[in-house]
Amino acid sequence: MASLITCPHCGTRPKEEFSIRGAAAPKRPSPAAKDEVWHRYVYIRDNPKGRILEYWHHVAGCRRWLVVDRDNFTHEVFGVMDASDFERARVVE
Amino acid sequence: MPINLLHRHVLEDHISGFETNANPNHLSVIRRPVIFSVLAHAGYEAAVAEALRKADDIASRYCNPSEFLAVSQTAGAGSVAEFLTAIPGASFVDQSDGFVLMAISGPSVRSILSKCLAVDLHPDTFGEGHSAAMMCCHVAANVARTGPNAFELLVPRSFAGSVFDELMEAGRAHALTRGFAD
Repeated sequence: MASLITCPHCGTRPKEEFSIRGAAAPKRPSPAAKDEVWHRYVYIRDNPKGRILEYWHHVAGCRRWLVVDRDNFTHEVFGVMDASDFERARVVE
Repeated sequence: MPINLLHRHVLEDHISGFETNANPNHLSVIRRPVIFSVLAHAGYEAAVAEALRKADDIASRYCNPSEFLAVSQTAGAGSVAEFLTAIPGASFVDQSDGFVLMAISGPSVRSILSKCLAVDLHPDTFGEGHSAAMMCCHVAANVARTGPNAFELLVPRSFAGSVFDELMEAGRAHALTRGFAD
């Protein structure tokens, strides 16, 4: 696992300060979406090997949700951003 | 029968016994600091940070872009609250009883702290006046640098005893002394 995460608010921190929620790439469907869409969102997930986007919570630091762009095979971290910026960028797309 | 409510510091039992003179490496516990948690409303983050930075006898501790701790060792809770009310776009709450403020200083302070912090405290990355929330002795604390060899730690009250004991253990090799700051 990537052992050093550079938090955009706090600087470089050890992974022990964080708690990981899961993949950030799947988009939450609208509440009115069909059951099949929700089923796909909740249960049918990819299990990629390589570069992934993940939600990390900086529990012992700034207590913000972050999106970590990392490789789960080489443990390389490509970038970290605040989840609100991530969400804003996704809405623009 | 009247009940006399006495203020008793949570570390009182940890600092019992005879008082020694302070060594160069010294940990002092501030008895009654005033600590307010300040939250900046959306859009007011920079203005609130700036107002806190400018304040006299209030030290601003950074938690995250919209959250700060206002710490004062000289001003009373009333005057700090009055000052914070005047800042537009800020909400605050008195946390004085929720935190314990410890000041640690001395020539070996960085090697003592490196035993319980996993953060680089080199002046190039963590300079004077810098503060951040971080894990200290497995407790989420706020650490600030107040001088070249001086740091201040804000620890949640219920964990203060454990952090204090661990800091004293880390400082044994450097003859760290402890005491209340009055």
